Amino acid sequence: MLLRFSSLLSAAAAYVLLAAAPAYATAAAKPEAMIAPQAQAVGKPVSASTADHSKFKELQKNFTSGPQVTEACLVCHTEAAKQVQHTKHWTWESTDPKTGQVRGKKNIINNYCTSPVSNEKDCMACHAGYGWKDDKFDFKVEKNVDCLICHDTTGTYRKLPGYAGHPVLKRVEFPHGSGRFVEPADLKKVAQSIGMPSRSNCGSCHFFGAGGNGAKHGDLDSSLQHPGKYLDVHMDEKGLNFTCVTCHATSSHQVSGSRYNVAAVVEGPAHIRGKKDESPASCQSCHSDKPHHDKMGMLNQHTDKLACQTCHIPQYARNEIGTEASWDWSLATTMGPDGKPMVRKDSAGRRAFDSKKGTWVWDSYVIPEYRWYNGVSTYKVIGDKIDPSKTVQINEVGGGPNDPDSRIWPLKVHRGKQPYDKVNNYLTVQHTAGEDHTALWHNYDWQKAIGAGMKAAKLPYSGEYGFVDTEMTWPITHMVAPKHDALSCAQCHSKNGRLQGIEGVYLPSRDNNKWLDMFGWTLVLLSLIGVLVHGSLRIYTSKKKG
Amino acid sequence: MLKVIGGFVAGIAVVAVLVYNYAGSLMFREIESPFGVEETVARIQQNVQNAGNGWSLSGLRNAAKPIEADGGNVLPVLMIEACSTRYSGPILKDDSLRFLSNLMPCKISVYKKNDGKTYIGLMNAALIGSLFGSKVGGIMEHVAADQAKFIVFDPSKPAPAMIKGTPGAASSGSGAGAAGGC
Repeated sequence: MLLRFSSLLSAAAAYVLLAAAPAYATAAAKPEAMIAPQAQAVGKPVSASTADHSKFKELQKNFTSGPQVTEACLVCHTEAAKQVQHTKHWTWESTDPKTGQVRGKKNIINNYCTSPVSNEKDCMACHAGYGWKDDKFDFKVEKNVDCLICHDTTGTYRKLPGYAGHPVLKRVEFPHGSGRFVEPADLKKVAQSIGMPSRSNCGSCHFFGAGGNGAKHGDLDSSLQHPGKYLDVHMDEKGLNFTCVTCHATSSHQVSGSRYNVAAVVEGPAHIRGKKDESPASCQSCHSDKPHHDKMGMLNQHTDKLACQTCHIPQYARNEIGTEASWDWSLATTMGPDGKPMVRKDSAGRRAFDSKKGTWVWDSYVIPEYRWYNGVSTYKVIGDKIDPSKTVQINEVGGGPNDPDSRIWPLKVHRGKQPYDKVNNYLTVQHTAGEDHTALWHNYDWQKAIGAGMKAAKLPYSGEYGFVDTEMTWPITHMVAPKHDALSCAQCHSKNGRLQGIEGVYLPSRDNNKWLDMFGWTLVLLSLIGVLVHGSLRIYTSKKKG
Repeated sequence: MLKVIGGFVAGIAVVAVLVYNYAGSLMFREIESPFGVEETVARIQQNVQNAGNGWSLSGLRNAAKPIEADGGNVLPVLMIEACSTRYSGPILKDDSLRFLSNLMPCKISVYKKNDGKTYIGLMNAALIGSLFGSKVGGIMEHVAADQAKFIVFDPSKPAPAMIKGTPGAASSGSGAGAAGGC
C-alpha cells in the first residue's frame, strides 16, 4: 500500500516537473514570462479601500471652510465626530486612571512653549478641530471636528499658527517675512482623497512639537517620514514600513499609547489580533515579555527589570535634526546690538537664540537618561505651588526598584528656565503669540504678557516674576534600532555604564560585595597555591626517582 | 658574556613591549571637547580658515553615514579634512616622499562616545613626521604647531556655522578637494 502510494506520488511529481519544463524553458528565454498570470488591470489601479470618496455625491461641493467638509463627512460617518470628541486630540485633556489627576495640554504648563491658554489662535494649528481661539470654544459642536488633518492623503492640507485651527484657504507667506508661501488647500480634492492616517499626518504635529522639527520628543521628527532601517527597524521604508497607526492601533478614534498613560509594564505572551487591549501600542503586544530566542534566554531574565526600549533604543534623535536639550526663557526680550529683535542659529543651523523666545541648546544622537518608571507621571498643572529654590519637576515619574509595576526606562530630560510668580510661587501662564499689545512676541514686555496670560488662566498674578529651573521627562519609545545595535552587556554591566545612576538593583560588574569578592579571590589564591605545591612535589619526586 | 647578551636581549624585549603598548597613544591624541559635535566641528573649521600658512578646508566626511545607509548605527564621527599647500607642496614634489600623500589631507576627527561627551581625535604629526627623516620631520613640526592652534576655542565667541562638504570645490571627481590645496 505504502509502495503504491509512493509510486503514485513519484508519478505525480514527475508529471508536474515535465509539465513545468517547457514553461521554465520559455520563461528562461523571456524573463517577463515568469510573472504569474493575472487579471488585466483596467483603468485606475484598484484601491485597497472599499469606497472611492471621489464618487460620493456629498463630496462634490466646492467647500469654502473646514466645517463644511466635516458636515459632509458626517452624513455617512454619523458617529465619527462624537467619537473624536472623546479623545485627547479634541479635548486636550487627560485624566490619570491611577491618580485621578486631570492633565493634558489644556491644563499643564510645560517647559517648552509653556501653555496654550491665551495663545489658542496659534497653538490650535495642532488641534483636531476648527475655531478654538479662546475659552469660549464649544466642544460639543460636531462640525468643528477636523477630519482632514488626520485623513488627508494629498499632503496639501495645512494648518498654520494664527488661524485657530482653520486650514490655509488663501496663499499666505509663512513664516512671515521669509519669502516662502503656503498654497491654499483644495478642500474638495482633499475631501475626495481621504485615507488612513499616514506618518505625514501624525507627523505634521507630533514631529514638530514645541515649534521646531524634533524639538520636543527627541524620538519623533521628520526623519521618520522616510526612515531607513538604522533609524527605526519597524518603520524602515524599505522594510516593514510601519506607519504610526500600525502600533498605535485605533478603536472608535481612540488612539492607543500615550505619554500620559504609558504602559510601563506589559506581561505575558504576544497578543492576538482583535483582542481587546488597553495598550496594544507596546513592544510586548507583538513580541511578548519573553522575546529573545532560547540561545539568548538570559536576556529574557532582564524583562522584569528593564523596559525593551532601554536596550533597543541606544540613542535617540539619531540624525542631524537633533532635539532640544534645553530652553531658557529668561533671555527672551534681549535685543541685538542694534536694539532690534534678533535670531541666531547654532552650528548645525538650528535655532539657538530668538529675542522672542530665549535660548536653546540642541543635541543629536543623544544618550538617554535612565530611571525607574511605572508609567505614572504626576504633572504640574496650572496653579500648582512650586519651590523655586529647587529645580521644578514639570512631571515626576513614578516608580522605584521595589514597585513590581516599574521598569528601568530610557528618558529624555528637557531642562528649562521659565517664568514664575515670585509671590504666589507658581509657574506663570504668559500670552506669547498674537499681534495685540500684550503679546510677548509682539511687544517684548514680560509684565504685560504674564498679566494677560494669568488673566486668561483665571489666576491671580502678584506682579512680580522671576525665572526658575525646570525639568520635564519624556519616555523614549520610538527610533528602535536593529537588534544588532542594541546595547551590549558591558554597556550596563560596568562601573561607568549606562545604568550607573540606577539604585535598588544588584548589577554584576557595576556592583560588588566585599565579602563575596574576598571569598572568590581567596579561592583563586588557594587554587594557585595548590597547583604550585602539587607541581613542585611532582618535579621533586620525579627528580628523586630519576 | 652570556649575562651581557642576556641583559641586552631582555632590554630589547622590554622596549618592544613598551612600544607595542604605548605606540598607539603616542601617535594619536584624544581630547574632550567642551562643545557638541557640530559646534566643535564648526569651531575647528573656523580656526583652520583663520590659521594662515596656506591652510584651507578640504572637506568634511561623516564616517557614520555609510553605516547608517547599510542599516547599522554608530555614534557620529565627523572628519574635518584640512590641507596646507605650503607644507604639502615640498613633500609632493619629492618623488621619494610622494607615498606620504597617503597621509593627506590632514584629518581631525570629532566624535561622540557612549558617555555622551564629544571628543577630538588628532594624529601626532610631529612624531610621525620624525619617522621619515629630517625634511618631513621639519615640515611636520610646523604642521603640529598649527594643528595645536586648531583646537584652541574661545567660548565667548558665538558658534559659527558648520561648513558641510568641500568648500569651493567641485562636488565630485578629481577636482574635489582642489580648493583645499591637496
